[in-house]
Amino acid sequence: MEWTEENGLLLIPLGLGWLAVWLLMPSERKRPRILGGLAGLAAILIMQMMLLPPAGDLVRNALFFLFAAGSVISAALMITDRNPVYSALWFALVTLSVCGLFLLNSAPFLAAATIIVYAGAIIVTFLFVIMLAQQSGTIGNYDQQPLQPAMASLGAFILLGALLFTLQEWGHIGGPDASQHAMPGQFITVPVELQPNPLSQHPPDNPHEIGSLRVLGRSLFGDYLFAVELAGTVLLIATIGAIAIAPRRSQGTL
Amino acid sequence: MTQVSEMTATALESQLIVGATLFVLGVIGFLTRRNLILIMLSAELMLHGVSINLTAFSRYHGNPQGQVFTIFVLTIAACEAGLGLSLILSLYQRRKSLDVLLWGKLGEDDLPVFTSPSNLPVQVPVDPNADYPHLSPSGRMPKTQPTTPTKT
Repeated sequence: MEWTEENGLLLIPLGLGWLAVWLLMPSERKRPRILGGLAGLAAILIMQMMLLPPAGDLVRNALFFLFAAGSVISAALMITDRNPVYSALWFALVTLSVCGLFLLNSAPFLAAATIIVYAGAIIVTFLFVIMLAQQSGTIGNYDQQPLQPAMASLGAFILLGALLFTLQEWGHIGGPDASQHAMPGQFITVPVELQPNPLSQHPPDNPHEIGSLRVLGRSLFGDYLFAVELAGTVLLIATIGAIAIAPRRSQGTL
Repeated sequence: MTQVSEMTATALESQLIVGATLFVLGVIGFLTRRNLILIMLSAELMLHGVSINLTAFSRYHGNPQGQVFTIFVLTIAACEAGLGLSLILSLYQRRKSLDVLLWGKLGEDDLPVFTSPSNLPVQVPVDPNADYPHLSPSGRMPKTQPTTPTKT
């Protein structure tokens, strides 16, 4: 009983989210998709109210909720859209929203790189493949009949619930002093300390320029030089493999 | 410890929740969709959720490790997309369909076929090369009488 009093509020947005995803999934029978959309919006609003009231910079909070809601709504529409082309376009919107979150996390270089790599290369390649494979323009029946939508989304939302409950429990463990115990609805209270990078041979960076090119480049090509070389090798090998695997014109057209 | 990150715990927890939600939506897409391309897109969605977590912790702790790791995630995502799409193209060339249920059976012809519990109808596309002679698949006795070529 005590557990339900403390954590039961979380069950409402989880259940609403499951209902929304299940209703939005394409199926043969007509389902009220409007209801699904309303349930999803309600879940997002309740989740937003369960977070602490915005304290501090109002513009920052507003931008955060804009990008967060945009990414979650676009992701839900991406996995439930019947048309794979629209799904790829929704994924582009998810990428843009996530880049907004990166900007809020003071990672401008990362945001630019993600937009260039994802929106500029990966999504375009996906669209090319979709249009190559579905030249007739008709949507296959496999896009209208998902595999076990109710059970899969139920299991996934149980996973989400477990993650959220774990975050809440983490808050209850508390910080070093008793004043940092979690308030109801607050998830994490860990002391905010600036930890220097234990691997770095350089003095700790100014926290206001974490995402700047100078700090990032020094970390990449100083502390992680071996990993960067490895990543370059992996990229080269993947390119060779993709060229070797892809079907050739001599083996017949698509 | 004089420099304290201006990011509060609230901001960190909100970002963790957004990351977890994106990851879970990606899991749902990965499990339910039957289009091979959408399965790969859902995997990329899960990577986005992980990237949000990494950058949030990077900001919270005030060091660039998380962002460096996100750059590696980006690299691996690009490799995965290239390799996966070329695999999907060669799979499409064989079956002329992107349905993942067509690949539920990778065994020989006389082994029992995997059937999905929901008995979804699988639309096998018409093979445009059906008129050409086919080799009999391995593991089965070849036909003694020359008959009309059958679809495989």
